[in-house]
Amino acid sequence: MTTKFNTTKQTNENGATKMRRRDFLRNLVITTGGVTLGGSLLAACGGSSTTTTVGGLAIGTPEQPIKLPVTTQAIADGLANETGVLEILNWADYVNPESIALFEKQFGVKVVESIYDEEGAAIAKLRNGTFKPDLIFGMSSTGLAKLVSGDILQPLNKSYIPNFGNVISGLQNPYYDLESQYTVPYMIYGNGIGYRTDRIDKNAFTSSNGYDVLWDSQYKGKSGVLDSPRDTLAMAMFRAGNFDANTSDPAIIKQAGDDLIAMREATNPKVDILAYTELPAGNRDINFTWSGDLFTALQYLPEGVSPEVLGFWYPPKTITTNDFFCLTKNAKAPVLAHQLINFLTDTDNALLNRSYVGYQPALGTITVDMLLKSGTIPESLVDALVTPERYEAALSQVTLDPDVDALWTDQWIAFTAG
Amino acid sequence: MIKSPRLWTGLALPGTTWLITLFAIPFYAVACVAFGTIDPIFRDAAPQWNPLLWNLDQAQNILVSLTSGPLRGVFIRTVVFVISAMVLSFTIGFPIAYFLARHAGKRKLLLLSLIIVPFWVNYLMRMLAWVNLLSPSGLFSRFMSMFGINYNWLDGSPTTVILGLVYGYIPFLILPLYATLERLDWRLIEAARDLGASSSEAFRLVTVPMSKAGLAAAGVLIALPMFGDYYTNDLLSRSPSTEMLGNQIDFYLNNSTQPQNGALLVLVMSLFLAIFMSLYLRSTNRFAKETVK
Repeated sequence: MTTKFNTTKQTNENGATKMRRRDFLRNLVITTGGVTLGGSLLAACGGSSTTTTVGGLAIGTPEQPIKLPVTTQAIADGLANETGVLEILNWADYVNPESIALFEKQFGVKVVESIYDEEGAAIAKLRNGTFKPDLIFGMSSTGLAKLVSGDILQPLNKSYIPNFGNVISGLQNPYYDLESQYTVPYMIYGNGIGYRTDRIDKNAFTSSNGYDVLWDSQYKGKSGVLDSPRDTLAMAMFRAGNFDANTSDPAIIKQAGDDLIAMREATNPKVDILAYTELPAGNRDINFTWSGDLFTALQYLPEGVSPEVLGFWYPPKTITTNDFFCLTKNAKAPVLAHQLINFLTDTDNALLNRSYVGYQPALGTITVDMLLKSGTIPESLVDALVTPERYEAALSQVTLDPDVDALWTDQWIAFTAG
Repeated sequence: MIKSPRLWTGLALPGTTWLITLFAIPFYAVACVAFGTIDPIFRDAAPQWNPLLWNLDQAQNILVSLTSGPLRGVFIRTVVFVISAMVLSFTIGFPIAYFLARHAGKRKLLLLSLIIVPFWVNYLMRMLAWVNLLSPSGLFSRFMSMFGINYNWLDGSPTTVILGLVYGYIPFLILPLYATLERLDWRLIEAARDLGASSSEAFRLVTVPMSKAGLAAAGVLIALPMFGDYYTNDLLSRSPSTEMLGNQIDFYLNNSTQPQNGALLVLVMSLFLAIFMSLYLRSTNRFAKETVK
């Protein structure tokens, strides 16, 4: 399998070509498509492999961060804003229309939004030209490696994004994109358990293994888990004390599948991503979900119901992750795309955006205190906020090798097939 | 009579083109995905267009899963759900169609319209409306609780999904049945009654046999989409205990890195339904011959 990377040069932000021995070797690893050859070549040169490849795809991991290859120059400094239309590709309801209207007014342009509901399908459509946006919202680190491999992105010119400094410091040089060549973080969230405080006591999660509540048959027909094989199987692994969210150990994966089946027998949980509507509506008591969903849920509370009925248990060791903006290589309005990133990483604009989206912007300038003082988050949901400590303790998910991925999928099918 | 074979060939051309473009080629593409491979980088389907190079290993895995693995339960459940929904649909739909054809008189058109009008509304909207009505705080649930019936319709129970299937597809059963019953020669019923048959005997021995073609057509019309249905379960349940084959196809194609498994399930289901379709065609053919005699 070959990739479309230019393997002979790297380009810095000013367009100057620089080539380092280490970069050459890294790219060689990528284009030869395997750890074995790359590793042996590196070893032969007296170095060690610094790139993880799965199925020929070069990815960054927290242990082995990656500086992604660059095949095209970022736009030059000081260009004028384009006029007309800026096309964005986004998840549904994942940006505040009011924020977009403000941006349109400020820059005198029109923003046209296309929606995607599954990252893999979106990448396929970006590759075959069905989607031709300027700017993509909400991509994950697993999607990024594919987008770069498909030569779909262009590097960012951060001179247009002075607000980049607002980003959480630990995410300014993330493992999946060292030096943030292609990405600027958008939202941050962690995996945990949302629950109704009027039906479940907070101590149920802290007095013993908090995950056990999801296996408690008294919540039969009133519980849910994420329709996300990686997240939900990993949750079952964490419950059993295995904290490798990317494990390739067949026994651990099988055990997680068996544990989920036991949960199914005990509680008949819903498997979807609707915790943000079902918990506030009172249709569920408990749901394994993303922390950001609980903030979104506040908007779905029936009239007269206190926001304090929503609670979240943030496990001490769990997956905490972020998504990001990235710019397409063939963007027709790249300057405006940079401007929108900068606009949404401004602290005030990010707060306005958060008021609609619910999720927590990945900005260090937005502190827990600030959010609490804003009055938009009830005390009961303080635990749903990603604090610097939680981010530091985060477990990460990376792309799995196809064979390992098949093991995970098999267990997921065993669970969902009922 | 025109005897030019070219003309008949020409008349068949639009239909043949339609069949090739919109059925044969897409179906072949599904097969190429099913027996193809996966792009190791993008994890999407890499169809194998050359049948000589088709990879049958995954097909074997899926067949094993369907016969003795995790998909076996899903397959059986799908068949049970569809059969239950069909029985219920016939139980509800036949009397309605019969009444419309036989007793509605001048109000026939009005009643027919009243049955059809709700189905002009988008399926998704209708189901979402039911989700609201059936939720524990919904109007229907509150109404039922006035009579002491406190049932959580949306707790992922098979009953709700089966009722959802019935509600979603019943007009497609009523309309062809009505069309068949309306054309029945009712004098034959009267003759049966004159010859001493009770009303139930006349219905069993005359009406039902004569409406066999309509019953079969209506059955096929609702069974085919029900087998592939996944959104009814998505909207009304989302529980593993009500997962249907369509949900598994949806998962494999849209949310997994094994789209070839989704394509394989499509082929298996098509084959399964083709058997029923051929039985239907044989029975209608036989019925037509009997009618001519």
